[in-house]
Amino acid sequence: MDDRPHKTHRPATSGGKVAKKEKGKEKQHGFNDKAFAPMSGRNADRQGRRNVERDQTRLHVPLVNRTPDDDPPPVIVAIVGPPGVGKSTLMKSLIRRYTKQSLNEIKGPVTVVSGKKRRLTFVECNNDLNSMIDIGKIADLVLLMVDGSFGFEMETFEFLNVLQSHGFPKVIGILTHLDLIKKAATLRTTKKALKKRFWTEIYQGAKLFYLSGVINGRYPDTEILNLSRFVSVMKFRPLVFRNSHPYLLADRLEDLTPRELVRTSKGKCDRTVTLYGYVRGTNLRLGTKVHIPGVGDLDIKDATALGDPCPLPTADSEKRRKLSEKKKLLVHAPMSDVGGVMYDKDAVWVNVPGNFTRGNNEVYQGEGEQMVMDLQDVNSTLEDAVSKSQIKLFGSSSKPLTTDSAVNQDIDMDDASDDEDDDGTDDFNSQDEEEDDQSGIDSDEEDEDNLFDNDEEIHRGIQNTGRSSHRTSIRTLPSSSKKQRADIEYADSDSDLGNDDDLDFGGKRVRFGGDEDRDIPSDDGGELYEGEDEDEDAHEDEFAPKWKANLSQRAEAASSRKARQKDWTKLIYSTSLTAEEILHGEKQEQKSDVEMDEDDLFQVKKTTGDDAEALDMSKESVEKEELKKWEDEDMLESIRHLFITGGDGPLGEGGQDGEQDNEPFGADDEDDEDEDAEPQPSSSNTTTSRADALAAKKAALKRKFDEQYDDPDSSKLDFYEEKKDEMARQLALNRAEFEGVDAESRALVEGFRPGVYVRIELTNVPCEMIENFDPTYPIVVGGLLPAEERFGYVQVRIKRHRWYSKTLKNNDPLIFSLGWRRFQSIPIYSLDDHSIRMRMLKYTPEHMHCYATFYGPVSLPNTGFCAFNSLLGDTPGFRVSATGVVLDIDRSVKIVKKIKLTGVPYKIFKNTAFIKDMFSTALEVAKFEGANIRTVSGIRGQVKKALPKPEGTFRATFEDKILKSDIVFLRAWYSIQPRKFYNPVSSLLLSDKNKWTGMRLTGQIRRDEGIKTPLNVNSTYKKIERPARRFNPLVIPKKLQASLPYASKPKRMKPQQHETYLQKRAVVMEPEEKKAIALLQQIRALRKDQVARRKEKKGEKKVERQKKLVREEAKKGEKDKERKKDIMRMAGQKSKRDADMEDGRGRSKRRKT
Amino acid sequence: MAQIGSIVQFSGHQHLRQRLVLSILSGKHVRIDKIRSEDKNPGLRDFEVSLLRLLEKVTNGTIIEISLTGTAILLKPGIISGGPITHDCPLSRSIGYFLEPIIMLSPFAKKPVHLTLKGITTDEHDLSVDLLRTVTLPHLQLFGISDGLELRIKRRGAAPGGGGEVQFLCPVVKQVKTLNFIEPGKIKRIRGIAHAVRVNPQFSNRMIEAARSILNRYIPDIYLYSDVYKGDESGKSPGYALSLLTESTTSALHCAEAISEPGVAPEDIGLKATRALLAEVNRGGCVDRKHQTLVLLMMVLGSEDVGRCRMGEPTPRTIQFLRDVQSFFGTSFKIVSADTSDPECTHLLYSCYGTGYVNANRTLA
Repeated sequence: MDDRPHKTHRPATSGGKVAKKEKGKEKQHGFNDKAFAPMSGRNADRQGRRNVERDQTRLHVPLVNRTPDDDPPPVIVAIVGPPGVGKSTLMKSLIRRYTKQSLNEIKGPVTVVSGKKRRLTFVECNNDLNSMIDIGKIADLVLLMVDGSFGFEMETFEFLNVLQSHGFPKVIGILTHLDLIKKAATLRTTKKALKKRFWTEIYQGAKLFYLSGVINGRYPDTEILNLSRFVSVMKFRPLVFRNSHPYLLADRLEDLTPRELVRTSKGKCDRTVTLYGYVRGTNLRLGTKVHIPGVGDLDIKDATALGDPCPLPTADSEKRRKLSEKKKLLVHAPMSDVGGVMYDKDAVWVNVPGNFTRGNNEVYQGEGEQMVMDLQDVNSTLEDAVSKSQIKLFGSSSKPLTTDSAVNQDIDMDDASDDEDDDGTDDFNSQDEEEDDQSGIDSDEEDEDNLFDNDEEIHRGIQNTGRSSHRTSIRTLPSSSKKQRADIEYADSDSDLGNDDDLDFGGKRVRFGGDEDRDIPSDDGGELYEGEDEDEDAHEDEFAPKWKANLSQRAEAASSRKARQKDWTKLIYSTSLTAEEILHGEKQEQKSDVEMDEDDLFQVKKTTGDDAEALDMSKESVEKEELKKWEDEDMLESIRHLFITGGDGPLGEGGQDGEQDNEPFGADDEDDEDEDAEPQPSSSNTTTSRADALAAKKAALKRKFDEQYDDPDSSKLDFYEEKKDEMARQLALNRAEFEGVDAESRALVEGFRPGVYVRIELTNVPCEMIENFDPTYPIVVGGLLPAEERFGYVQVRIKRHRWYSKTLKNNDPLIFSLGWRRFQSIPIYSLDDHSIRMRMLKYTPEHMHCYATFYGPVSLPNTGFCAFNSLLGDTPGFRVSATGVVLDIDRSVKIVKKIKLTGVPYKIFKNTAFIKDMFSTALEVAKFEGANIRTVSGIRGQVKKALPKPEGTFRATFEDKILKSDIVFLRAWYSIQPRKFYNPVSSLLLSDKNKWTGMRLTGQIRRDEGIKTPLNVNSTYKKIERPARRFNPLVIPKKLQASLPYASKPKRMKPQQHETYLQKRAVVMEPEEKKAIALLQQIRALRKDQVARRKEKKGEKKVERQKKLVREEAKKGEKDKERKKDIMRMAGQKSKRDADMEDGRGRSKRRKT
Repeated sequence: MAQIGSIVQFSGHQHLRQRLVLSILSGKHVRIDKIRSEDKNPGLRDFEVSLLRLLEKVTNGTIIEISLTGTAILLKPGIISGGPITHDCPLSRSIGYFLEPIIMLSPFAKKPVHLTLKGITTDEHDLSVDLLRTVTLPHLQLFGISDGLELRIKRRGAAPGGGGEVQFLCPVVKQVKTLNFIEPGKIKRIRGIAHAVRVNPQFSNRMIEAARSILNRYIPDIYLYSDVYKGDESGKSPGYALSLLTESTTSALHCAEAISEPGVAPEDIGLKATRALLAEVNRGGCVDRKHQTLVLLMMVLGSEDVGRCRMGEPTPRTIQFLRDVQSFFGTSFKIVSADTSDPECTHLLYSCYGTGYVNANRTLA
């Protein structure tokens, strides 16, 4: 459709439209300045501020993205939600959308190609908290599914909190089961409420999708299409932790343990396991450890890059804008049942529709099926096939390899069809040529041919030896260059194994196409062959090929030819030559070669005699001879070009140097180009090169001048841009440095890049991992940094989660999710006490951070973590108990707790007192001499000296006289150490993966075992009987009283004996007065009556009101009852639905939040 | 589970320092046996024991086990703690022997290192304190370790008697920068320090004269300082030395030095130092031979990017160092000729992919 040319648009040249356009054009001449100009100065100011602020919000801390832009690993899309919410349905719908295939049963990760530049790995997360933690650490995008008809559940919030502490990936919310809400208004309010909650949890404006209902077991196609569009344009910001650790999500697991070993040990032996997956994060390097959460720390025995099972469309296969339909069919899901291929734990099953009968042509037969069918067509035995088959080692080989049928080792090679063999040899050949390109700088054509012949002969020789070492080395694994097809495992068949892998001669890596090796003066490759062959000669004397005849001469010639161009990398890393032998002449090398011949069997004894007393020193001893030559005047002149005054040197590089004199250090990119560009002109014509150099110099000067004077702003970038540029430059350099290097040495130097599909071989894997393998639990392989393999005390800043209902107690075990690891440890909580000491806390403070210190594997400072008291599914309430960040790593800790030593005075002088019961020996007192002490009443003092007589008593002085009843105490600090307890959460090793229990609390053990808490009699509460204190009256002696001044004398008077006047007098009233009093009495009586009546009335009203209230209460209660009924009915429906939907593996809902 | 870090095994007494340093940095345990086991005087020497003691002081939680005969040691490294430390170096080796590994470790300590070392400041085996101050420390600046990096020479102490004292201050860094140093540039200045203790102060001037007689022909920017310490600051034995360095336009440093020998005139010492310097300059590269290991180590410890450096041929010590780095960190270098078009080019381009080593010891403020 696209190829047909469209009719071009022809604008009208006359008529009304044209006139209208013309008219419009008259009005605006170009850009209208006034259109966006602010009206007032204030507005202008405001607008300017706003723009600047907006610019600042755009900025983020520049982070290096270690994931390569070309061929990135698939994006991990995790589908998370409570059971019964529709996770599997969504995954099926999405996979259907991308691959047009319906998967019946999805287990483990599924990788699909979603676009020209993007692949997606879908992984479904079950409801186990362990899985949620692991998924949270690796997911790039989380599709968080929420049952719209039910609301958010606790697990959702727990998962969000886990995400928060491990770097927040992108989250898209998806509301399902919205079809269950029948009323439109309810639907609207539900959506609104859920959206509001979701936004507060993620960020304002976070994307929330609504999926209405299920049609044909899938969500509606349009809704899925919309969702997939959002997924495909999603941008990801690198997360710090993932950007510094390599990791992979294993999508396939194979057990390589010998069956016999498993059988004899009844399956209890440690296993050798291979895991497959895309490398993500940073480069995965050999020699480091990996951690598999739920299993433990494991050593990588071997890692190989495999062909991509789900490759991105290449540039030439996809010229078009859209992904072709063919590519859409690619899906890689080894653990699920995809396209008829089932990867079981340790076997691959091919499922062919119909049956394997010949002539069954109605079913479409793919390539794989065809191959299986073809197996039935065999009409000759294997032996016949072997005897007939012809193997050409190289495409250029003139005649096929002739085999001796008695040599049974060839069977390894021959049980495959011919075309595959051709493949293999082609590969081989191409690789040989590649190597030639690398090494053959000066090797002329004829020489190359010669070498080729030799190679062939070497191979033939090896084929004939029949030694087991060769055979095993041939049987290695499929290598990177071989394209492995996604869904067919036949590529693993023996025939094409290892023909482009290295052969292993006694632990040294030597390439088969060994012409490169022969270039090395040490000629370890060539000589090695010789060595090997000498062994062979022992039993095959007559076999002496002609290539050996002149080998030594050729080697010599080669070494003299390439004396200068040593392959240092190879010499240093892949030979056992001593440093002196590498640096100096060949005589030593010859000697060493002789030694090396037998180092298959024997350890070479190093000749350490002469340098036994060589000192480990950094200054080389200068040789007299070398210094002597500097007495020569010519010699002195010869290095003049190395100085700035020296001008151009003797070589072409002199000009280059001169040109870069003025360049500041660090302008390396330009230098690179110069280096590349320089040699050609210098070789062709000196005059042009000089002119060029001059021009370049001028250009550089001009640039410098411009930078200084012309426009200082234009060339200057702001800090942010500068940093970003720097990063981009470094990344470009990283890419460029290993561009031309072959894959193997590249893996040696830089490891496996992100995006490479690797196979990791792990040894000593606990057998339970294999026995209890469940593909629905994700297997994450996290690479560890060297520091993270160590153990130590980790100090963290921690805060109890505000939704966690209990406080955290000191010395209670806590399960941490820190780095890749999940483990239980025992923290000690502390707070900084005035920057003097770290003081232990018994409980975590409310609404505040505190420190915690625990023993465990080290993580880098600034790593976030979250902690749990229990990971079990049936734990009530919110399970994330604390979150925090790592602050410090150490091998010792200094946390103290307060201890008060108390004593009582037994003899008190003026300001001095003798204190007993604080210490038990004089030695203890001596330790505390000069310490501050205090009484309860606040009188301060000091410990002076131990008293000789009652042991442990001492003399102390105070600032005032203390009382006999005072308690004296000494405040001291007692240092405590966290317990060295580390218990990794080995959930993947259990058959019941969500039932992991670590160390329990004492109380819990007692509860579980039904043991009563032991009761100390002294700890029981008894009634405290405090006798009332009797104080004697204060008696002042008469004598003293007499001498006191009047003011201080106690005033003591006898009570009055006689009646007073007021009591004695009689009252006689006037008639006027009498009248007035009577009136007053009457008024009072009236008033009293009035008040009484009023009160009565109020009482009546009160009773009435009470009645009314009771009536209202009753009404309200009725309403309440109805509402409760409603809720219960809904809950009942919901649980009924759950029971219908659930397949019984997840746990039921806990409660609505 | 897997509490015991993997053990790296070595034998022989050679390259002890770099192996200990690599072990402490990588956290891998190291076991070195057959230490002079064939010797008449088997086992560790006093300076090696002293070095182990110093490393114990600098670190926290390090466990060092020395076998009964002293021919085998096992080092379980702890964390590098730093802080104020004082150490008396034995008179069998100079301060440089002890300071070199400390310089490699101290940027990755928990607290800034403030180390006081007492002993011999200059001898014929190790870098003198002058070179450490003027050449080694600037090399650290290439990796972004600069603020507060200082070596103070409090007292000088010549060979048999010693009595010198230096203070080394080093800041801590989170991560070292990736090096990209491929342009050696041209030499723009020459500096030098001639010192004389407990001898005629004129000796240093005589050395300077001799050196200038050769160097004056190249560039005018030559400053050779005469550094005379007197009284208590001059240590216990007489001695004098001349250390020279050249700096290029891209701040590549090359250095050489010569120290007093009995029966040799100061002029000859001056000439010897100068000729050694010219030999070093002639070898070229961006880093001289004495500092190859330091620079390569810092490149390995850089961020996960490609670091490049142009140097001359590796010394035997460097070759062993490269192998040791591979066994500790698993990092190998790509070493190719710096100029592939020129067969006469002796310079090599060392490039490696940094391990992304982050100073885990550093406390988060």
